Amino acid sequence: MNSRISHHARLTVLLALSALAAPVSAQPAPVGTPPEKAQACAACHTITGNSTNPAYPVLAGQTFRYLYLQLQDFKAGRRYHPSTDPSVATLSSDDILALAQWFSAQKPEPTGFMPDPVKVAAGRKKADEVLCAMCHHGGFTGQNEVPRVAGQHYAYVKKQLEDFRAKRRTNDAGNMTSVASTLTDADIDNLAQYVANLN
Amino acid sequence: MFNRRTILMAAVAGGIAMSSQAGAQEVGMSSTTTATPMASSLVPVTDAMLRGAGTDAKNWLHSNGSYAQTRYYPGAQINTRNVGKLKPAFVFQTDMLESMETAPIVVDGVMFLTTSYNHVFAINAVTGEEYWEYKHKMGPITTYCCGPNNRGVAVAGGRVFMGTLDAKLVALDARTGKVDWEAQIADPDKGYSETMAPVAVDGKVLIGTNGGEYGIRGFVKAYDQNDGKLLWTFNTIPDKGQEGVWATKDATGRDMHRDIDAEKAALAKDSSFYQTLGGGVWMAPAVDLKTRTVYFVVGNPSPDLYGAIRPGDNLYTDSMVAVDLDHGTYKWHYQYIAHDVWDLDAVSAVILTEAKGVNGKMVEVAIHGGKTGHVYVNDRATGKLIRFSEAMIPQENMWTLPTAQGARMLPGANGGVEWSPMAVNPKLHMVYAANLHQPMTYQVEAAAYPGGSKLWLGGSFKTIASEQQWGRLVAVNLDSGKIAWGVKTPQPLIGGVLATAGDLVFNGEGNGWFKAYDARSGKELWKYSCGAGVNAPAVSYMVNGKQYVAVAAGGNNQIDFKRGNSVFVFALP
Repeated sequence: MNSRISHHARLTVLLALSALAAPVSAQPAPVGTPPEKAQACAACHTITGNSTNPAYPVLAGQTFRYLYLQLQDFKAGRRYHPSTDPSVATLSSDDILALAQWFSAQKPEPTGFMPDPVKVAAGRKKADEVLCAMCHHGGFTGQNEVPRVAGQHYAYVKKQLEDFRAKRRTNDAGNMTSVASTLTDADIDNLAQYVANLN
Repeated sequence: MFNRRTILMAAVAGGIAMSSQAGAQEVGMSSTTTATPMASSLVPVTDAMLRGAGTDAKNWLHSNGSYAQTRYYPGAQINTRNVGKLKPAFVFQTDMLESMETAPIVVDGVMFLTTSYNHVFAINAVTGEEYWEYKHKMGPITTYCCGPNNRGVAVAGGRVFMGTLDAKLVALDARTGKVDWEAQIADPDKGYSETMAPVAVDGKVLIGTNGGEYGIRGFVKAYDQNDGKLLWTFNTIPDKGQEGVWATKDATGRDMHRDIDAEKAALAKDSSFYQTLGGGVWMAPAVDLKTRTVYFVVGNPSPDLYGAIRPGDNLYTDSMVAVDLDHGTYKWHYQYIAHDVWDLDAVSAVILTEAKGVNGKMVEVAIHGGKTGHVYVNDRATGKLIRFSEAMIPQENMWTLPTAQGARMLPGANGGVEWSPMAVNPKLHMVYAANLHQPMTYQVEAAAYPGGSKLWLGGSFKTIASEQQWGRLVAVNLDSGKIAWGVKTPQPLIGGVLATAGDLVFNGEGNGWFKAYDARSGKELWKYSCGAGVNAPAVSYMVNGKQYVAVAAGGNNQIDFKRGNSVFVFALP
């Protein structure tokens, strides 16, 4: 796997440099007109889905299918977060389609996360071992119902992996709870560092 | 790879904003090539041409070369003596930088090739000039495992047929690339998708389905070539009797550690799960027109690793199946692994050939290369197993049951032989198989059916960081099951093999090498670095008296090999 390793090593350096150099940008202009219901999301995620609070995930550029299914899961109680607006329970399927469309169409911006290159390298190695890319796609860009996690907030990714491991989050059809069950605290830290650095 | 950006194709229909989700993940680039008029040499492909493809050195008319799917090219202009001089004739670059699994089809000097996300190109098979490109307009919902792949088209009459990620069968005009008709094969919202190359035969188009990772109920369907009308459906999970014979041993006689009493008790409580029991069909079926029989293998049961909620043998998963060409009715099946909980299923395409039977006389056989690392030789008339080959890659701790924390067993869940089609040299009675060695642990996780919209593995498999991964190209003697030779490669092999009458074997690697070997000895005779993973099966053809060898170098999503966007075509100077 030498070619992969060297490719990834170059990638890591490039990403580390670019992440260090990239300032936290001003909020980008929205692409299109947001649906009315998106205003309730904006308090935590911002109207473009580029949340600035690392506890709340970046929704901009997320896959349409993942957003759609997660909103359906929040609505049905299969996923829970205390900050998620209670009005999610009243969303219609059309509302959910519109919200998923809106946030998936927005441009994700760099979060400004400062990486630890050693942890990033360890996270990349663990990701190869655990076969993350088989589902999350090369570069962690996501596909269909499997989320994009490239460039996601470090704190959010870390918490999700911890929640999967502890089975506090269980709307994954058993896949991530199984994957996370053998991860150590250090693995989770390293993986979160790695994916937070991807663009 | 890492700069891929989400590009949405906004569509508003009926007041509901919908995005093309697969389109959302597609790398959009503007075309820079100028299409040239279609070659006048292209004529409709007749049934006679399709039937005779196995001995036609001019064309490559089926994804696996012929209805027998031997992937054996009958021409010998390029052979063991001169292959060392092979040079690139041209490189065709598509506009899609993503994994390529396509087996190009060549008709009268016109090549039809596909890319991820269902683009089709028609190009000049000598110069690489583009005639047309078709970009499938993807529906709003796609659900698929293992990458946005496509393994090629089928051709018949004046049409080109392709299965799509949004579970459609599309018929294109071969001269223009315009859509003639479309048929919705199944509901992508329930986990159905298409990546396989269809088979055009006798006025029909045969196609299976992906979805064994999503709780589908698998099938093979036949459509009318003229209008896309559904002619028959064979469900790979029967309405009744999926529990089979409660087999305790696999095809090789090894105990699979089933708790049959517990399974029977569970089945008595609930037998409704047959509708979500999986059984995808990933590769093109083989066809024997003499007996009007269609042969294919069926993939894993759903969920992959969690077997407690699907008691029984889970027929016809992990089986070779024969059905009637005209009606799709069952003829026979042979199951290699009953109640699979390792995803070591049956994927690689069935090949029809001949081999020594149990009494030493030559018989017609149907063979399959398993993810277990065995080549299985079945009697074509009855399905009975005649022999299985020596293990082509290491096997350890078979059949250790998956645990919550992970149990190590070899081979890993990718095989053995993954979808990669094998090739046969009938003169030498040898079959050539591209194998992976990826040591893994198998983990089980209880998980209820999530509705078809989410990946449903019932656990996970992970590689073991301290254990090396590699590949092995192996030649197996069909008459004895013994390994004639094996070549170890630095990376796991996925993509497929081509054999030729020049006594050559062509195979690609994830590191970009495309190589030719002596079919008798396995000696490496030639290689060329394509700069991206060669993870697609090669084909060969002849135009104006000159033989060409073509292979895609687009890398692979499943093993995460370096992506590319090109088809390389080679010829002698």
